Amino acid sequence: MPILARRRAINGAFRALSSLALAAVVGPAAWIVIGVVASAVPHWKWSVLTTPTQGASGGLEGAILGTLVIVVGVGIVAGGIGILTGVHLAETSRVRRDGRPGGGLLRGASEVLSGFPSIVLGYVGYVALVVGLHWQFSLLAALIVLSVMVLPYIAKATEVALRQVPTSYREGAEALGMRTGFTLRRIVLKAALPGIATGVLVGLAIAVGETAPLLYTAGWSPANPKAALIHQPIGYLTYPVWTFYDYPSAAAHQLSYDAALLLVVLVVALLAVARVIVWRSQRHS
Amino acid sequence: MDLDKIEAPHAGASLASLVDGDVPRPRNVLRSKDLSLRFASKTILTGIDLPIRRGSITALIGPTGSGKTTFLRTLNRMNDKVPGFAHTGDVLIDGESLWARHADLLDLRRRVGMVFQRPNPFPMSIRDNVVAGVKAHRIARRGQLDLIAERRLQEVGLWDAVKDRLGDSPFRLSGGQQQLLCLARALAVGPDILLLDEPTSSLDPMSTEAIEHLLSTLAPALTLVVVTHNLAQARRISHETVLFFDGTLVEHGPTADLFANPGDPRTQRYVSGRIG
Repeated sequence: MPILARRRAINGAFRALSSLALAAVVGPAAWIVIGVVASAVPHWKWSVLTTPTQGASGGLEGAILGTLVIVVGVGIVAGGIGILTGVHLAETSRVRRDGRPGGGLLRGASEVLSGFPSIVLGYVGYVALVVGLHWQFSLLAALIVLSVMVLPYIAKATEVALRQVPTSYREGAEALGMRTGFTLRRIVLKAALPGIATGVLVGLAIAVGETAPLLYTAGWSPANPKAALIHQPIGYLTYPVWTFYDYPSAAAHQLSYDAALLLVVLVVALLAVARVIVWRSQRHS
Repeated sequence: MDLDKIEAPHAGASLASLVDGDVPRPRNVLRSKDLSLRFASKTILTGIDLPIRRGSITALIGPTGSGKTTFLRTLNRMNDKVPGFAHTGDVLIDGESLWARHADLLDLRRRVGMVFQRPNPFPMSIRDNVVAGVKAHRIARRGQLDLIAERRLQEVGLWDAVKDRLGDSPFRLSGGQQQLLCLARALAVGPDILLLDEPTSSLDPMSTEAIEHLLSTLAPALTLVVVTHNLAQARRISHETVLFFDGTLVEHGPTADLFANPGDPRTQRYVSGRIG
């Protein structure tokens, strides 16, 4: 085969494979979004946002607020610990004598953690926190279990983002006599911010969509969240999706679709925020 | 190496005394004494004896891998954290060891600034780049930062080009302008010594000329040590030239002498372009 024809054939094959891969990603995502929107929108009522749940009907006010509280809480707990873990792994862990990065135990533990099925984490939380510490179904138990679940993502994203910061920034800062902490705060973290923010927000998006660990730890409450960390169960949007769908009433089905739509909107919003942060922070780089 | 010959007075000496003022300071601001350096089992430098005169421009020349950049980076201890770093001998700054127990590494780096081969502005605005070191060392109050930025940008000749876009990204500047910005940043913390690692090798001839001109105006007040592969540049801007070869110091002397009458056959071959 002449070289030109061969090159064209290979080029065409790769194009086809790439298109296939694109379709494999975009297809299911579009299918889910369209399916949820098509099921929820025809009977959508804005009052769903402001009406409490009564049994398997009414609105989703409590679940919406509960999910928001859980997202913010996980953002603070897992975001804080995860970013610090990533910073330690990338920056402050002692470099081994052969020049490879240290922090092996922490990194290993984090990777093992990310491999646990979420339902196992939920069950451990149930046994240890809900029953063991007598917290009962509660916000705190849910926060801890979800945070443990998404921590590895955030730590990994932070570590990777920090390692991608050009050495020339660190070298320049070092040569100016900047303290490590100053360099980290003013230069390195700033340069890594898009990656870190993306990691945190993807972590939150994963947490938002979790059901199993919450069934074990948060329980379920149709009421609005109380100002209590323990002894009070809390509602969340994945519960109606999972539970109400099996109920016989049309109202319950509608709530199930509504909750699914709200979840999709929330996840898309989190990812959009990540994009905006990336875009904004690239103005100086 | 004949130390007397090196310390013989020449054009730079009167300038040094002018800078010294009332306090008598050693005439050699930096002095490397029998410095040997290795990274793990790889020996990079062997027995480097080199005094660097206050207020002079010293060019370090030599083939790739001769150890000149490693030597330069030792002068503000940028090599300390390289895995396997070990040294014998010493480097004195104003008579004190760089590695003295009470030596303050951050203050050393404030006094001994560095400019790199590739311009490396920070990912922040042009103005913030200039004052980044000033903020880190808390040299000035917040209200003075704008003035400092303006002064330093004027000093490096960049002010007119950037005065209307101080808040912009430095990465939209040309390579030469970025390097001038890095010089302004290094100068803003008030160093005594500036180390330059091939500062013009990634720049076009016009930018190179601008940087060389700037360096020659800095010299009496500051001591400059410049690593360069550009022999013509070494001749144009330096008072003294040092030839490194294979981790050793081959020859050191006033630039004009070293180029006109090289004492070592290796120097002769290097400066005539037959090796390197």
